[in-house]
Amino acid sequence: MPRVVLASALARWLRDSASAHAVDAAIDAPGETVGDVLENVFARHPQLRGYVVDDQGAVRHHVAVFVDGVAISDKVRLRQPVAAQGEIYIMQALSGG
Amino acid sequence: MSERLLVSTRKGLFVVVPQRGGWRIERSAFLGDNVTLALADDRDGSWYAALNLGHFGVKLRRSTDQGRSWDELAVPTYAADQTVATGDGKPPKPATLQLLWALEKGGADERGRLWAGTIPGGLFRSDDSGASWQLVQSLWDRPERAEWFGGGYDYPGIHSICVDPRDARKLRVAVSCGGVWQSADSGDTWSVTTEGMFAAYMPPERAGDPAIQDPHRMVQCRDAPDHLWVQHHNGVFRSSDGGNTWAEIANVSPSVFGFAVAVHPRDPHTAWFVPAVKDECRVPVDARLVVARTRDGGQSFDVASEGLPQQDAYDLVYRHGLAIDGDGNRLAFGSTTGGLWVSEDQGARWQAADVRMPPISAVVFA
Repeated sequence: MPRVVLASALARWLRDSASAHAVDAAIDAPGETVGDVLENVFARHPQLRGYVVDDQGAVRHHVAVFVDGVAISDKVRLRQPVAAQGEIYIMQALSGG
Repeated sequence: MSERLLVSTRKGLFVVVPQRGGWRIERSAFLGDNVTLALADDRDGSWYAALNLGHFGVKLRRSTDQGRSWDELAVPTYAADQTVATGDGKPPKPATLQLLWALEKGGADERGRLWAGTIPGGLFRSDDSGASWQLVQSLWDRPERAEWFGGGYDYPGIHSICVDPRDARKLRVAVSCGGVWQSADSGDTWSVTTEGMFAAYMPPERAGDPAIQDPHRMVQCRDAPDHLWVQHHNGVFRSSDGGNTWAEIANVSPSVFGFAVAVHPRDPHTAWFVPAVKDECRVPVDARLVVARTRDGGQSFDVASEGLPQQDAYDLVYRHGLAIDGDGNRLAFGSTTGGLWVSEDQGARWQAADVRMPPISAVVFA
C-alpha cells in the first residue's frame, strides 16, 4: 500500500478529530494514482484536504507533491500512477519573512 | 468602555489590555502565523480569527473561552464551475478562496449568523457560527461583477459589510474595486449605489461607473444607520441617505488618501481617518503620523498629533486597522510597522501601547 509522508510544517496543523492527537506524519493509504491515494487519506482525515488542495481540488500553488522523489507535473488532475510500495511526499515551498 | 483589544498581525493574534497605566499584551494565539482579521461576537461571547497560512490556504478559528483555546471551522469555498473574470483584462480563472477580508456578525436576533467577504469577490453567509458557509449566489451572479477588479490584490474583494442595526435584512457591502452594494432582503436581491462617487484612476469616460469604484473601507453609524462614511481610493465620501447617494468630503487634512475610517457609534457627524500620501507612496504626510477627525460631518477637520510620532514615522494603517469601542470614547489603531496606539478621549490625544508588534492588519475591541 502506498505511503503518504507529510512534512512537519503540514503535519503540525493536523489533529485526529477522534482522538485529538496529532496525525502521524506518515499515513498508509490504498490507491493506484496520486488522486486516489490522497482521496483515501482525506477520507480518514477530512481536515487535511483544505491544507493540501484548493477549492477546486488542485494541489495548492505552494505545496509540492513528490512520488518516489520526483515532483508531480500535473497538480490539477492528479492521475499520476503510484506503485504499491510507492511513497508520496507532501511538502511546502520554503518561505521568507 | 471595552477593556480588551484583539490585534491581528503577521505573526499572530494578540490580546492587549490596560495594565499599569499602559496597554500590554495579555496573551497571544497562533504565534508565527498570519492572522488577518478577528471578530468578537457579543451575541454569544465567541471570538473568531481568520488566518492566511499562505502555502496551506485560508483558515478560520473560533474560541469560546476568550482566546485560551481555538477550534477550526469551515471556510467559504467556491464550486468547480465558479470563475473569476475581472474588468482589467486578466483571463478568467477558477475561483478559489484567497483571503477572508470581512467577517461580521448578523443581527441581534440572528444568533449564529455570520457574513464573510472574500477575495476573489464572493459574499458568504453562515447560519451555524461558521460551521458551514453558503455563497450569496445572487450577488455572485450579477453581470456587473465581471467589471470588478483587484485593488492591491490580483482579484477583487469584499472588505466591508454593514448589517443595519434597525433591520438585519438590510445589508450594505463595499468592494475593492467594485462599488457599494445594497440588499434589503438578506441578500436575495442587490443594487449598486455609488451616485456621487467618482474614480480618478479610471479613463475619464468611466470615472462615474458604479461597479469600478474603489471604496477602501465603509463604516455605518450604529445609532443613525442612514449615515455611512467611505474612505475611497481617491477621497472621502459620506452618505446620509442609507448609502444611496454620496457626497465628496474634499478637505480632510493633511490628505484625503488613506484606508481606514471610523464613525462615532452615536454621532454620525463625528468620524476619524488616518491619512497618508497618495497614491502608491502611502506613508504619513511629512513622516508625521496623525489622525484627522471631523465633528461636523466633514465641514472641518482637526488633526491630532499628541502622543503620535511626529518625526521619521512611516506607519501605514490598513482598512481594518482603526477601531472604536461601543461607547465612542476609546479608539485604537495599529500600523504596518507594528505600532499600536490608543485614545481615551475620542481621538484628541493618543498613547502608544507598550509593545513592538509584527505588522498589524486589523484591530478590534472585544
